[in-house]
Formats: sequence, structure tokens, C-alpha cells
Amino acid sequence: METASVSGAYLTFLLGDEKFAVHVDNVQEVVELNQITKVPNTPDYMLGIINLRGRVLPLLDTRLKLGLPAGERTSKNRILILEIAEADEKTIQIGAIVDVAREVVEINMQQIQKPADIDSYRHSTPVTGIVNNQGDITMIIDINKVFSTADISIVNEF
Amino acid sequence: MDNNQKRFIEDTLDLLNELDEGLLQLESNPLAIAPLEQVFRTMHTIKGAASMFGFENISRLAHLLETLFDKVRQGHLPVSDNLISLTLQAFDRVRDLLGKKNKGDTTQSDNLDIHLALASQFLKDVEYAAATAIGLSTGYNKNSLATYLLQVKPTIGISEQENHPLIFIVKDLEALGTIKTHQYKDDEGYITDWSVVIATSIPRSEIESYFIFVEHECEILLEQLADGNLLQEVEFKKAVDDYHQGSARNPEELKICASWLSEKSTSARKQNTVVEDAGIQRKSKTQDDTVIKVSKHKIDDLINWISELIILQAQLLNIAQRDRIAALDEITERMETVTNHLRDTSLEIGLVPIEALVTKFKRLVRDLSKQQGKKINFLSKGTETEMDKDVIEMMTAPIMHLIRNAIDHGVETPEERSLAGKPEYGTIKLKAYRSNTFINLVVSDDGKGIDTRKVLQKATERGVIKPDDELTEQEIFNLIFCSSLSTAEVISDVSGRGVGMDVVNQRITELRGSILISSTEGKGTSFHIKLPLSRSIIDGLLVLVDTTHYVIPLNVIERIDRIPYTSLDRENHVCVDVLVNEELLPVFSLRKKFYSTAIPPKTTDIISVGFNGVTKGIAVDSIQGKIQAVLKPLGEHYQQVDFISGGTILGDGTMALVLDPQRLFKESIFVN
Repeated sequence: METASVSGAYLTFLLGDEKFAVHVDNVQEVVELNQITKVPNTPDYMLGIINLRGRVLPLLDTRLKLGLPAGERTSKNRILILEIAEADEKTIQIGAIVDVAREVVEINMQQIQKPADIDSYRHSTPVTGIVNNQGDITMIIDINKVFSTADISIVNEF
Repeated sequence: MDNNQKRFIEDTLDLLNELDEGLLQLESNPLAIAPLEQVFRTMHTIKGAASMFGFENISRLAHLLETLFDKVRQGHLPVSDNLISLTLQAFDRVRDLLGKKNKGDTTQSDNLDIHLALASQFLKDVEYAAATAIGLSTGYNKNSLATYLLQVKPTIGISEQENHPLIFIVKDLEALGTIKTHQYKDDEGYITDWSVVIATSIPRSEIESYFIFVEHECEILLEQLADGNLLQEVEFKKAVDDYHQGSARNPEELKICASWLSEKSTSARKQNTVVEDAGIQRKSKTQDDTVIKVSKHKIDDLINWISELIILQAQLLNIAQRDRIAALDEITERMETVTNHLRDTSLEIGLVPIEALVTKFKRLVRDLSKQQGKKINFLSKGTETEMDKDVIEMMTAPIMHLIRNAIDHGVETPEERSLAGKPEYGTIKLKAYRSNTFINLVVSDDGKGIDTRKVLQKATERGVIKPDDELTEQEIFNLIFCSSLSTAEVISDVSGRGVGMDVVNQRITELRGSILISSTEGKGTSFHIKLPLSRSIIDGLLVLVDTTHYVIPLNVIERIDRIPYTSLDRENHVCVDVLVNEELLPVFSLRKKFYSTAIPPKTTDIISVGFNGVTKGIAVDSIQGKIQAVLKPLGEHYQQVDFISGGTILGDGTMALVLDPQRLFKESIFVN
């Protein structure tokens, strides 16, 4: 089988000026920002809980989770409802807030470059690939690495 | 492990519970037929299923034990303590094995070897004993108790003063069983005859053989009156006395009386058996009628959907009221009724009777009281009361612990009990009943009660309280929930159990329940546990702090006071003592702790919550009203925020956080 023929659908979104993409399999839907209920005694990136048609989902700030500065809330803000793989084959749903949700694009595997291998950078970064479209760079991220609950207990001890 | 094997394990675990129940019944009533049959049947089922699904070791063990119980059924073997203990222990091991996740561990052939060896040794012993018994006395008809009428007429003149062997022989008969003898003398003091009614398991020929050496000096007439020991019956004893005293002794009358009585007792026994059978049949019949197995997952799903329906219904009501759409009024009202019914019914589906739990407790009481040489009866009432299966599982260990404590520290030894003027047998009771939306479980014993002085002394030693603290009785009892008290000396006679009283309390609190202790020295102790019927629906008070809604469970709320916000205004924002209702109350202000205090409200409402006899206050901005909240877990992202038990969606689609007050105060202590 030739790798050239393998491609995938990705949802792209903006955080500030940076362009990111996640595989559509991980995204259940995109909803508008509604009322958020903040849960006390939680880290800043945990924005609170939202009501998605009767379900209670945690809402996380993608910017803060990726180590970017916090952004202003605008009417363009969207929530990606993501499915995160947990240990023992469970999945949980979360909402992740992004500045702007853009479009679904087909990306050919051949276009995807591995991120630069600087020391242990590749192991810790959630960026699994980079698409360079004539200087227009899109970073493909692994949402399981970004939003996994495994690290929360550590982060939470403040 | 494939699905069939999983099913087998599930079914077998149920069967093992039934088996335990049957064995315990059999132990307390060794002659009853119904439990014996049940035990035998259950073993047979386990044996068959085990070999079908490849659990050869279990099948072998079940087969051996089945053989033993078959002997019991045929009357070759009495139900003995040994037999019951052996069987219980063997199946305990099977239960352990089935609990193993790895199939290899379960089917490993040598893990039941000890029990196999024990059982086969027991079987050998029984067979050997049977063989030797037959060898020694052929035709020895065992267990055939019978009542005989014996008349001994000396043919030579014997007076009481003489040392004639016949006199001794008649006296010796007394050793053979239950006996009533009467001696008749003529006017000259010579013995004319003896009339003896004897109930014995010695065969007829053996009784006759007693008289071999005096054959030529007496006439013997031996007649069997009936099977069994009729001398147990009051009526028969009276008949025998009448017969002995009467001038015209007519053996026929006695025989008629005997046969009539023996018939009566057999039919009564039969009736007993029939009644027992009917009981069991009735039980299994209702099970056939109503029980289907549904995976817990499906029920959870159903309840989830219904929870959402409740939320939607509340939203609809909200819109109808807001927009004043009169046409919707009737519909929303009816929908409310229907959803409420639906909610109640769906919650019932997930409930199971606590019966299974009770069998475990019976076992515990039996094993532990034997081990400690105490005599204890275990009584249970309301075992048909239904509870959430998860809750039952969560409550098993805590209740086990309470019962263990009752055996360990509550009920005295038989000697101590008789000294105290109590019946030799102690009693431990488990009572379950439902009241409103709560399940009540009461564990009580009639033992020596809690020694408040000892508890106080220990608490002072460990620095839990100060020597000059004045505590109410309830507060003293509650001290046994302190982790520093419930360990070591206070409760450690039975080691290796891992649950202390603090864990009992913690588990109950987790389930949003409460526990109340009452105890009278010398009379006994009782623990009253109250649990909410549902884990996902909470009756609560909706309050507002800043812009966030909170729900505080109603069951812990004691009172509500409104005070000026400035009364709270101190440097330290958590757990400051505030004067409420003329008493100093430690108050936790949610606003001061978690929200901006820039533009505070004018007043603040202090909600006094009480648990374990301690009252604390939670300060909120305002109270919105009562609410029936459907609890939704916040998920693993919020596992660290344990003072919030979940979220709930309000009628307008916004959300409220459900507070766990007890944890909130734990947290606040931690933060301080």
C-alpha cells in the first residue's frame, strides 16, 4: 500500500494567530459558547462545567492547556466537544474552548512532517505533525495528550 | 474468559448465596427436609454447570460434597457441625476462586485440593463407619427409635428384698432409653409382674436377649407400640400412668392410644415439611414471575435518560410560565406527573432486596460466635426491603464491621450473660425498613453497651478531647468514629479486617446518609443508619453565591439565619466563628473563599448544617428555594474537587453545583 493515498480529515481552529488541527474522529461537534459555571478550587485552565443538552461536561481552556497566554472572550469563540481516550478503554467527553473554529480539511499523510526533534521535545509535545502549506503552518495536535486527566491530579495540588 | 463463563460465574455466585442460606437453615434444623433438598439441588446445579463451562476443579468438589449430602438424604448420615463447616468452607473457597479475574487462577486444578482432600476423607470416614457398623451387628436397624410395651412376669416368687437377678435386669433396662416402669406386688409382698414402657433404638431381639439367663424364671411379653419415642408426648405419658394405675390393665387400650398418637405426630411432621416446601415453592414461583436479568448498564442508561427528561420537563414548565402560555399549563402539569412516576419506577428497577446481604451476616455471626465461644442468635427483619445494588455492595463492609463489633465487644460470653441475669443466648438484630425517601438499617445487640467512661478516657489520652470538655452522650458515642480511637486497643480483637469505625462513618457519609448511635450500659447498643433511596436524586436547597448556584442537601440542614454581611467581615475568611442565634458558630463563607468580595451583598444567609452532632455554618448570598436535583457527576477532570458531589441542570438550562457539606469542612480544615 502506498502511503501517498492515505489521507485524513482534520478540523482546523485558531488560537490567536496560530493554526491548529485535530483529527475529526476525535471531534463530536462544535457548539457556541453558552453559560459556563465555574467550579471553585480548580486550576485556571479548567473553566468550569457546561450543559450540553442535559449532559454536564467539563470545559477546558485550550490556550492555557497548550501554554499560550489567555485570550479575550469574543463572539467567535467556539467549543469543540471532544472525545478523550482514558485508561481501560473508556472515553470521556470534554468541551475545549478555541478562539475560532475554521473548517474541515483533507490532509494527505505525505504533507505531514514530524515536528523537530530537539532533545526530548518530541516526547512531551502534543504536536504530532506539522503541515507546511507554502509558509502557512498548521500544527496537528494529539488531543489525548493535551486533555488527558492523568496529569490533572498533579497540576491540581496547588 | 468468554461470555458463557462470565454468566456461569455470576449465576454460581447467586447459587452459592442460596447454598449458604440452605446450609445455615439445615444447621439450625438438621431434620428439616426442604433445606436439605435445596442444598442438594443447588450443589447438583453447580456441579453440572461447572463441568459444562470448564471449571473441572469446582465440579469435582461439588460432586464429592453432593455425594455426602446424598448420604444425608438417604438417612445414612446425620447433619453434623463438621459436615456443615466443611461444606461452608469449601464453597467459600469456590467463591474466592470465582472472584478471581483471571480464568487461569480459577480453573487451576490444585487450588481446591485441600477441600477436595477434606471432603473425600470425610466421605471415607463415613463409609468406613457405615461398613464397620454393618459388620458388627448385621440387621442393626439404625435410627429406628421405637416404643415398646414389655411385661415381665416372674414364675417364681420374688420379693423386693431379694437380690434376684431379674430385679437388676429390669433396673438395667433404664439405661436403654426413655422408660416408665411399674412394679406390681401381691398381698404377701411378692412381685407379680413389671410393666415397662420403653422407647429405645435397641432392636427388639436385643431387649429379649437381656432375659436369656432368667428365661425359666419368668414370662416375657414384648410388643411394639409405635415407631418413634412416644414418651415425649404428654398425652401418652398420661395414658401410660393411667394404664399402670388402673386395676384392669388392658394392653389394647394403650396400643390404640399409641397408634393414634404416632399417626398424629407423623402427619404433623409431614405437614411441617409441606408448609416449608410451600414456602420455598412460593418464593421460587414469584421469582419466576417477576425476575428477569438485565445488565446494570442498561438500567443506568434508562435512569440517565429519565433524568434528562426531568430536566427537559422543568425547562418546558419554565418557558410556559415565563411566556404565560395558558394552553401549555395542563400539558406541563400532566407531564410532571408522568415524569415523576417514570422516575420513581425507573429507580425501583435498579433496586434489589437486601436478602443476599443477610445470608452473609448470618454466616459471619455463626463463624465468629463459634470462634469466640459466644452464643448468639442473629435475627433479621425487613429483608425484603429494596436498595440500590451498588449501595448494598458499598454497605456490606460497614455493616459487617458493626456486626463484628457487636460480637466482639457487645455480646458477652454465656457465663457473663447468666451472671448479669440475661438469657444465655445473645441476640444481634438487623432491621431494615423504608421511610419516605430513606432506607433505614438498624443493627442492634443486647450486649453490654458502650462504656462511655472508657471512651472518654481514651479520647482524653489521645488528645481528641480536652479533659474539661463537657460532652453530651451523643457526642461521646460519636467519638468512636474518630480514626485515632477506632484503631488499636478499642477494636482489635479480631485482626486483619481493615475497616474501622471511621471508615464505616465515612462510607455512610459518602452515600449522603447518617448514622445514629444509642446505647444503654448493660442493655445493648444500636446503630441506626439512614440512607437516601437514590444516589442520583437529591432533595436540596438552591442557593446563590455571586453568580453561581449551589445545591445544599436538605438532610443535613438544621436552620437558616440571615445576618448582615458585615458580621462576616473579618481578616480570616474561612471558618471564622460568627454569632448566629446567640451562639458562636464556625462559618465557611463560599463568597469569601472562592469569589470576589469587591461588591458584597448587604446580608448573608447562614445555613447551619449538622453531621455527627456537630453544627457548622455555610454562608451564602441568598436562598432561591427548594429543588429536587438530578445529580450529574462532574467527571474525572474534577475528581480533586471532592466537596462538590456533582452538578445539576436547573429549569432554565443553567447549572448548579451540588455541595457535599461534610467534605467542604474537611477541605477547609485542610486549607487552614
